[in-house]
Amino acid sequence: MKKKRHTLMKAVFLGPAVLSYLAVFLYPTLRTTVMSFFKVDSITDAVSKWSFAGLDNYRTLFSSELFLRSMRNIAGIWLYGGLLVFALALLLAAILTSGVRLKSFFRAVIYLPNVISAVAMGTMWMQYVYSSRYGLLKSTFKTLGLESLSAVQWTSPEHVFGALLVAYCFGMVGYFMLIFMAGIEKIPADFYEVATIEGAGKFRQFRLITMPLMKGVMRTSIVLWTISTVVFFIWSMVFSPLNPEPGTVTPMVYMYQMVFGANMVVTERNVGAGAAVGVLLSLMVLAIFLASSKAIRDDGLEY
Amino acid sequence: MKRTFAIALALLVAVAAATAAPAVKLVYWSMWNQTEPQAQVLEAAIRDFEAKNAGVKVEINWNGREIRKTLQPALDNKQVIDLWDEDTERVVKTWGAYALKLDAYLAKSYPSTGGKAYKDAVMGSLLNLSRSYAADKGLYAVPYQPFVFAFMYNKEHFDKAGIKAAPKTWDELLAAMAKLKAAGFTPMTVDDAYMDTLPGYYLARAKGYPWVEQLVKDKTNAMWSDPAVLQMAKAFENLAKSGYLSKTVAGNKWPAGQQDVAAGDVTMYLNGTWLVNEIMGSTGPDFKWGTFSFPTVPGGKDDQTAANFGAQAFQINKNCKNPDVAFALIAHLTTGKWDAELAKKSYGVPVGGTTDWPVQLAEAKAIFNNLKTCYPWAAGIQANVDKLPVISENFTKLVGGTITAEQFVAAMKK
Repeated sequence: MKKKRHTLMKAVFLGPAVLSYLAVFLYPTLRTTVMSFFKVDSITDAVSKWSFAGLDNYRTLFSSELFLRSMRNIAGIWLYGGLLVFALALLLAAILTSGVRLKSFFRAVIYLPNVISAVAMGTMWMQYVYSSRYGLLKSTFKTLGLESLSAVQWTSPEHVFGALLVAYCFGMVGYFMLIFMAGIEKIPADFYEVATIEGAGKFRQFRLITMPLMKGVMRTSIVLWTISTVVFFIWSMVFSPLNPEPGTVTPMVYMYQMVFGANMVVTERNVGAGAAVGVLLSLMVLAIFLASSKAIRDDGLEY
Repeated sequence: MKRTFAIALALLVAVAAATAAPAVKLVYWSMWNQTEPQAQVLEAAIRDFEAKNAGVKVEINWNGREIRKTLQPALDNKQVIDLWDEDTERVVKTWGAYALKLDAYLAKSYPSTGGKAYKDAVMGSLLNLSRSYAADKGLYAVPYQPFVFAFMYNKEHFDKAGIKAAPKTWDELLAAMAKLKAAGFTPMTVDDAYMDTLPGYYLARAKGYPWVEQLVKDKTNAMWSDPAVLQMAKAFENLAKSGYLSKTVAGNKWPAGQQDVAAGDVTMYLNGTWLVNEIMGSTGPDFKWGTFSFPTVPGGKDDQTAANFGAQAFQINKNCKNPDVAFALIAHLTTGKWDAELAKKSYGVPVGGTTDWPVQLAEAKAIFNNLKTCYPWAAGIQANVDKLPVISENFTKLVGGTITAEQFVAAMKK
């Protein structure tokens, strides 16, 4: 009798969540997957207008120079950006949790870029910082007497990827710093006290206490970073608002172009190929999630 | 008591009838943002139309250019939208299936057409252009706000540099650029947004636009070996080497380059006649504008009677319940007083075409009257969306001086 009531309660509490999950997440996922095997002209076309295309959409993608470039770009963002952001965020988190003065002030300042809309931030970087007319970099280098650096065209095809990466990472450091700070602060202070008494320096403490106990946080952060890289869109759009540019194009931008048409007067749309991009991206996130779960095992440490 | 109730009920019915929905309600989805001058004129014109036609109410939805993405899903989902606007070629080719055929209305006259039939009150070339995009050559969109794509330049610079006439050939262009440079001006610039128009126009002048479309769609990339491609690349390499292009040309992010023109630092910019309005905030109305068509090139096929010209255009939904009223509204907006007003406020070209061109577009009027062939946007170089970014990227490097003409051609053949 008691058990039965539990089943009912479970159904009552879980029902709405499960049903909305199925409707809002599972159905679109399945529909997108199916769509990726069809040729579809407009995203609102009725299913009767779809025509089966097999693996054609995937073939189109892998023969498109622009799509391949977009994959290379997010790989670059994931790796170089990841190293930059994680290194800086860890360093800042370690410094801010070590008892410096004005901790909350610095934390707020470093986190601040996350509060501002990405569109505003991106526009600021592109139209102001990198401007070759009155930009921050240009005038700073000029004041320092570095003429050759001040003449660099930061948004030219040679430099635009780096410019985009730096601008994006600038904001992301604060976000991951906050996560790392929370992780570090969870570690009991006694550990560090004992280590200090035993004669371990700050760096040794960081390496042998902080890092091992941050494994779980790291794993979560890697997954978060991967997802944010895979869905990289706004910054790319702000840096190349009209037509995608090889230096800044990402799969999401490519998908957007395929589904809604490029910004040109008349363009062919291929919603099926767009759906195929979506499927590939989902598989990528899944792969990284599984890999990071396997690589960084939870030791089951409790403290 | 009963009587009071009856009177109250009668009153209620009367009030309800008086405040009921208007006899005709039109829903207009606009390509403009409400803050743009075009939107302000259109809104005033629509309110004027409502005042002149009792019982008509027009609901405006200012989509801005997002309409390119929002309109079709809304139409597919049977949302009531009676009329909308966007670029003529786009509306006919992309949304033609949702639109009403309008040829029957052209012979009618409207209060603002001065007694003439609608087709005689507007530039015939625009109606023909709209028809040319339709499969059955019918009229599915009514053009307004015409533009032509050409070199927009600072006339004061030309005067100071002692250039008497606008260049007609590539050699004349080079000569003009040399004079401009000697006079201390930067002859030309371009933004990332229009980078592709330069190679597009050059190649179309050399070989005609259908060839350009074939070129970019050629999956084998063999056509890039054509001498015309190298000639084009050499021509622009030469401009870069001679110092005729702005130093920031490779890094220009729209609108950085056109702002340089507005600031009086650079003389020429290949763009649409809408540029006058777009940078009016920076130039002020006294800026001396000149316009000349893209010059002919050595050994080329096309001359200055070919250019990309077009217009925005209105379409009426084929399911519209009051198409007559909708067309009357379009006539009200595109002829007579409000056509002139729109041209004046947006420094644009009037649909009537004959009078009232803004002084800034005096030279553009001559180009307009001379047009025979209409190029597609960027003269066809955008025909392959996958290839375009690669072309733009390498052409940017070419005009930025970081690659040579030969390297450009090699990159295109990859």
